[in-house]
Amino acid sequence: MTSRAEFIGSIRREMAKTRGLFEARPAPRPADAGQAAEVVRRQMLERWPQALERFREEFERVGGDFHRVANMNEVPGVIRRIAEERRAKSVLSWHPWSLGLDLRASLGAEGFSVTVAPGDDPDAAARESHRDAAARAEIGVTGVDWALAETGTLVLVSGRGRPRSTSLLPATHVAVFGRDRLVESLEQVGVMLEGLHVNPALSMSGAVINFITGPSRTGDIELTLTRGVHGPKEVHAIFVDAPNFVKTPNFEKTQ
Amino acid sequence: MSDESLRTPFPQRAHAALEDAHLQEALGIATTRFIGLRKESFAGFPEGEALRDRARAIKEGTLQQLDLHLERLADNIERLGGHVHWVATGEEARDIVLRLCRDKGVRMAVKSKSMATEEIELNEALEAAGVKPVETDLGEYIIQLAHEKPSHIIAPAIHKTKGQVADLFSKELGGRFEADPEVLTAVARKELRQKFLDADMGITGANFAVAETGTIVLVTNEGNGRMVTSLPRIHVAVMGMEKVIPTMTDLMVFLAILARSATGQKLSSYTTLVRGPRQPGETEGPEELHLILMDNGRTRQIAGTLREALYCLRCGACLNVCPVYRQIGGHAYGYTYPGPIGILLTAMLKGAASVKDLAHASSLCGACKDVCPVRIDIPRMLVDLRAELDREKIAPWPERVVFRLARRAMTSPALFRLGASLGRVAQRPFVRNGRLRGLPLFLGRWTRTRDLPPVASRTFSERWPELDNSKDLERP
Repeated sequence: MTSRAEFIGSIRREMAKTRGLFEARPAPRPADAGQAAEVVRRQMLERWPQALERFREEFERVGGDFHRVANMNEVPGVIRRIAEERRAKSVLSWHPWSLGLDLRASLGAEGFSVTVAPGDDPDAAARESHRDAAARAEIGVTGVDWALAETGTLVLVSGRGRPRSTSLLPATHVAVFGRDRLVESLEQVGVMLEGLHVNPALSMSGAVINFITGPSRTGDIELTLTRGVHGPKEVHAIFVDAPNFVKTPNFEKTQ
Repeated sequence: MSDESLRTPFPQRAHAALEDAHLQEALGIATTRFIGLRKESFAGFPEGEALRDRARAIKEGTLQQLDLHLERLADNIERLGGHVHWVATGEEARDIVLRLCRDKGVRMAVKSKSMATEEIELNEALEAAGVKPVETDLGEYIIQLAHEKPSHIIAPAIHKTKGQVADLFSKELGGRFEADPEVLTAVARKELRQKFLDADMGITGANFAVAETGTIVLVTNEGNGRMVTSLPRIHVAVMGMEKVIPTMTDLMVFLAILARSATGQKLSSYTTLVRGPRQPGETEGPEELHLILMDNGRTRQIAGTLREALYCLRCGACLNVCPVYRQIGGHAYGYTYPGPIGILLTAMLKGAASVKDLAHASSLCGACKDVCPVRIDIPRMLVDLRAELDREKIAPWPERVVFRLARRAMTSPALFRLGASLGRVAQRPFVRNGRLRGLPLFLGRWTRTRDLPPVASRTFSERWPELDNSKDLERP
């Protein structure tokens, strides 16, 4: 077996032959990523209405369904309508702390089976049982970390109380977000991710970041566009004008 | 790649492809469609050209500090609780996966589409070791059931019609399915969903790996990449070492042009950034993450003729526009990577001798270079490769002799004139209606499908003195 030293050593030997042959041009990046992320956040306080318009347009172009409600109290009603139209009975959701909403109190009381992700450190049995519920659920409800306008993309960070499969296993994904989640460009998402990386006080709690652009799709049979191969057939975004919660931080503070 | 396809020489494989009416139809539809989608996507994206330049510069910059970026990537992945394996050859890569399967009691592995695992023929090795590999990308699943190989980097089953897929599913899965993509996709969804839940190991490639954050990046449309990295208890990613990029900022540059080049989408449905195994507090995710960093002939090219091929993002854009690929499809190339870039990658992985025929399967028209998101100069490298085949005496001797004679004649005025006079005499029996046809011996292979203009009765330089050029040329 090859060791790391051998592997790197052979690369260095070859690199030595090419030194100075090619011009090195490192990519420009923010000098202070934390500050750059703050600048983006402040810009978006002004520009969110245009970004929302663009998001809606692009999200619908990739096959998403857009909804807009005045406040969080109206969200369960939208989810109920979506469920009823699809004759769905089982709903899976992020933990209320991450979603800003406890669907057990609303939909749960109306005869839907609502499973909520564990908010603490789940043991093996809790993980197993959540996975079974996720595999059976028909509708998955999540929050959003960034809603990217130029491509109609939902960016979701996994972590405690926010399992990665809520937006994957159920045939219908419903994502809920407010204005503070909007960004305009991929470049800005890059700034946010850089900011996340350089600030040691902030840390992602989970291992996965997913960029979701419309429903699961394939063109593998005669290039015919078909939805819902492995992931959701439908993606809904519910924009809440006045979310009456301020928490749902993207990232938890470590210790 | 498969021995079977390599038993017949390339000209025969190409000929068979040209005779296959199904294939011709499918190829025509698919490549034309991809070209249109890509064009449309870049037309509404003026910043795309500058982004392509930046992407190219990032790839070049990364290569210049490849050692540093790879070490940084490995350190970060290990810090996050993952394992990194360094492998020099495909065989070593296979051995690592097989050892993991043995040690962890793996019986079934689900795979998302990965050219790197095709490159090392991992499925065959897994099967031989009693582990069931299940391809989960719909196209890959189809060709796995059909016991075939991918024919396109991003659309592995474009050579199959929906009727063929319906017959295949009906035969392999039991049942009678309609030739409707919607129905067939639903069949695959159901069939594969259970496999995702039951598998012990998920195997992926990597579109990128971000050194500074230790992030493995997967781009898919179907969501199978997410399944494979979320549900099984072990995740193994097999990656060519050149896929490393420095930062998240760089990643955004590539994401902005990758899907546009491949399918004309702004972004693929899913871009998944994986940073380590399941973290504390998470409900899901694998217990173990293994990254296999693979050389397999790549290091040799850092200072070699094929250096630029190390920039390749595997988007498939160069296949769609290539007049040769559009005619013969992926299988005729005979190796894992088809198309113009495939010839270069095959030479990189298997040595120049393996492409002695394929190096000529290009008209050098340059369409590939025009659409490449990182502007890889494929035609130049193909010419360099042909020169190498000549230099290393790999090209057949008649070819080398003919070109050597041609070079002598072209570089010496006296020989050129002599050659022209001889040619005028020698060509007489073969000129019909002002064209050269039906040349004898091995030259006949050229004229079998083409006419050549005959050598003129007087050369241009012989006519030059008689032309009245005193008026047009003003000498100082």
